Amino acid sequence: MDPVTFRDEVRSWLADHLVGEFAPLVGTGGPGREHENVELRLLWEQELAKGRWIGLGWPADVGGRGASIEEQVVFYEEYARAGGPARINHMGEQLAGPTIIAFGSQEQKDRFLPGILNGTELWCQGYSEPDAGSDLAGVRTKAALADGQWHVTGQKVWTSLAHLAQWCFVIARSDPDSTRHKGLSFLLVPMDQPGIEVRPIIQLTGTSEFNEVFFDDAVTAEDNVVGSPGDGWRVAMGLLAFERGVSTLGQQVGFTREFEEVLALARSNGSDDTYEGELIEAWSSLQVLAHQALRTLSNDQATSTGVEANVNKLLWAPWHKRLGELAMKVAGPSAMLTDGELTPLQNLFLFTRSDTIYGGSSEVQRNVIAERLWKLPRDSWVSP
Amino acid sequence: MSELEDLRAATRDLLATQAPVRSNLEDNPGIWKRLSSEMGLTSLPVEAPLSWTSAALEETGRVLLRAPFLPTVVAAGALNALGQDVAGLADGSVTAALALDGLDIVPYATDAVLLLVARDDELFVVDDFTVEALETLDLTRPAGRVTATTGRRVGTASYARDLQHLALAAESVGAAHRVLELVVEHLLVRRQFGRPLGSFQALRHRVADLTVLVEAATSSTWYAAQEGDDFAVAAPLARALAVEAFVAVAGDAIQLFGGIGFTWEHDAHLYFKRAWTTALSSDTRALKKLAFQRSGT
Repeated sequence: MDPVTFRDEVRSWLADHLVGEFAPLVGTGGPGREHENVELRLLWEQELAKGRWIGLGWPADVGGRGASIEEQVVFYEEYARAGGPARINHMGEQLAGPTIIAFGSQEQKDRFLPGILNGTELWCQGYSEPDAGSDLAGVRTKAALADGQWHVTGQKVWTSLAHLAQWCFVIARSDPDSTRHKGLSFLLVPMDQPGIEVRPIIQLTGTSEFNEVFFDDAVTAEDNVVGSPGDGWRVAMGLLAFERGVSTLGQQVGFTREFEEVLALARSNGSDDTYEGELIEAWSSLQVLAHQALRTLSNDQATSTGVEANVNKLLWAPWHKRLGELAMKVAGPSAMLTDGELTPLQNLFLFTRSDTIYGGSSEVQRNVIAERLWKLPRDSWVSP
Repeated sequence: MSELEDLRAATRDLLATQAPVRSNLEDNPGIWKRLSSEMGLTSLPVEAPLSWTSAALEETGRVLLRAPFLPTVVAAGALNALGQDVAGLADGSVTAALALDGLDIVPYATDAVLLLVARDDELFVVDDFTVEALETLDLTRPAGRVTATTGRRVGTASYARDLQHLALAAESVGAAHRVLELVVEHLLVRRQFGRPLGSFQALRHRVADLTVLVEAATSSTWYAAQEGDDFAVAAPLARALAVEAFVAVAGDAIQLFGGIGFTWEHDAHLYFKRAWTTALSSDTRALKKLAFQRSGT
């Protein structure tokens, strides 16, 4: 489709729908703010479904629109520009769905994709554990087949939106004698059952969007394993290969809004002279984030490194953290006080401490770049 | 592989064999003929998208090419855009030097046939000038002090300056990539304490951080070379980022090479000196501020 026409379509749909009962959603949600407007964002997800904006890039034969990368970029740009709220089922649309499309059976596609596409089934991600954070291959949650069902026992942590989700995709050790990457299975587990308990984690922001999830003989059907049993690591990692950075462009429009908020504050309180260097530095790095994403999407073979996602993370996460710090400096002494609740800039400042930890800490990203791009050998004490 | 990638690969091969880093300590007239009349690289600014010129400059940057490729292609592109006859520049029979920054130290001036000079916002072509050759810290890039007599005004200077920003970005990015490759080769081969240096996490993380800097600069240079509507924003920004990345990589490289990197015979200091002399004529804070102001943010 002609991207200009497509842009018009996206823009006018958002103008017509992100109003009225949904108007309070503008600019809400997202990392650090997932607790905002939850009920309304659930309805919004279904509103998006009616417009067929969910699964935009999914193939038509599974119910998607088969939109090109270019069109997806347009959608993310316009969505962010309109102040569209953070998508409450991004785990479903961005992670569970694509994984099922790539590795799942026809039955799994028929069963699970419609619930994501119509915005009625939410997903959460059961990866991290208390003893397996950045070192994901250390997972200990067990899964065993008995009576035609998988029985899952263990603990997951940092599970966002687990209290809302109907389903969780879980990496569990299905071969009790296995270690590391082998013997893991990628299971789809229903959340509403006696064997699962969700406990919120209160973060240093004082709010909660992450949870601990306890599995005590939780069950799921034997068929609810994606890929073969024991092949879970490949399934979990396979998704990373598809990530081309489309969604990061949308993320950047949000970053731009945050930067402009900081800049406007500096100009209004006169601190823009004092912090001119830092403001321009922040602006420059923001441009680079966009350039990096666009180059990644351009499919320029000469410069493809295979570690684009890792480089992106090491660019945006520390940048975002510095922006939060700059926001506090620009706000000045008034940032020492709250009205019982954090201001958006205080929330930015505090929540961004997690950016360089979640989704692969900066230290892990560096190791991946060293190993995957440059083939540097591992430290001798790290088991393979 | 695309045509652009063919060109990049052929240029890299040619330079690696005919103009390796060390050869650029001295004049090498043969390479100019190969690059210009045989490969046609000097005609890229008038015959191909800017991204092609940029790719060629990344390659000449990798070997710290001594020949005046950068000023000649910038002059060709800038004058062509102003409707001037650039046949001589495009076929390599005429070489140029650039005095666009208001400095009287002009790289490549000693061999230049014509000089592009910017005064305020005006651009002049000068072909009557005298040059006093200078001893330079960067041994791979000759320079002279120029005294011009008469010049011919050809238009405004802004596009020429932006092209120079992009060209220096591309050259710096190419050089920075090459230094990083050399560092990694060393870390893979050199062993201490019974294991390769590259297995020490302190060094792996430094390499990763340098990679991020170089990749970011590469992306900004790539973006500027697409020559979109915001070229005047993207070009100075790319130069700033590329120069900063080159300085960081070339400086850290000497540390990562260890003692060998401190010797004259090692190439590390040649890159280090090129990086710093580029930086000394590139006020990166001012370049970023210029880009920011032009963006209208």
